[in-house]
Amino acid sequence: MLWATRRGCHVDRTACIWLVRRFVDGDASFSFFDDPAQAPEGAKLFDVLGARLSHRGEDCSFETFLKEHELEDPILEEIAEIVHDADLMDEKYGRAESEGLDAIVRGMQLSMADDYELTRHTDALFDGLYAYLRREVL
Amino acid sequence: MEMDEPRVKRQGPRDEGPDKQSWVMLIYRLPREPSRPRVAVWRKLKTLGALYLQDGVAVLPEDAVTREHLEWLQLHIREAGGEATVWETKANSEAESRSLVEAFRSSRKEAYEEIIAEAERLRRKAEMGAAGTVAESLFKLGREFRAERKRDYFRSPLRQEANAALKATRQALREPGTYPSETGGQPETDTEAGGEKESGA
Repeated sequence: MLWATRRGCHVDRTACIWLVRRFVDGDASFSFFDDPAQAPEGAKLFDVLGARLSHRGEDCSFETFLKEHELEDPILEEIAEIVHDADLMDEKYGRAESEGLDAIVRGMQLSMADDYELTRHTDALFDGLYAYLRREVL
Repeated sequence: MEMDEPRVKRQGPRDEGPDKQSWVMLIYRLPREPSRPRVAVWRKLKTLGALYLQDGVAVLPEDAVTREHLEWLQLHIREAGGEATVWETKANSEAESRSLVEAFRSSRKEAYEEIIAEAERLRRKAEMGAAGTVAESLFKLGREFRAERKRDYFRSPLRQEANAALKATRQALREPGTYPSETGGQPETDTEAGGEKESGA
């Protein structure tokens, strides 16, 4: 399936893309736009004003994804807390990891050529975070 | 209404002067009652370190993250029955831009001063041997400092001083009685988390 979101991804969107690739849609491809009107026909929009898979109530898009796709994985739920704190800066879950994650992804956003390159790298970052948190529950 | 112009992503680290600085601006109006959404918006802007140019006009230096925060705020304001638009903008003159940068720097002054004062209070306490109670307060203060640093977009001069004050308190906590003297003044280096200075030969 083709997924589309705004250009210039930060923690919430890079985490969503990782989630889609690893847990939702093995054949996913992504398109990034400046303006929602440029979104490819039939693409599934996320983290865009008005999209179903977006911020909802207090939730960031990653949290909405977990709920919408009924992904009940305690490790993903922990990652959701970290992503939430990094994205919304409200310290809802008090996750210390979010500060480092925010700084690193913010910087990668500036140093990488585009969102394709960025998300190839952030995929490795979230793989690592997942592996780190999982080692505690084995 | 918004989103009429395609957006250009910044491709590299920001190395432009203040005249090239882009700003992202939220212009909004919310009904006087209920007050909850008004307070929530104000609080969020405060957390972000935004400055009000006037009532209902808040500004932040533009990057992918600040823009996104203002876009979500715009949505929340509309959902709460208010009006809001988000603009990317540049100041009309370099002087204007510079004074805005300076306003951002000085807006952090008070918070850094409080952190410095509290760090010094904790340092004195640690020196008197109250390490147990100091450690927890220092941890909290460190978190406050990091939150402050995050909304300090233009490296306020007091940031380094606050960082040094926290470092001195941590030091005092580790080795009570051997804290560094204050005669050294503040370090001149511009590295902020700064490695230890070389101790020389």
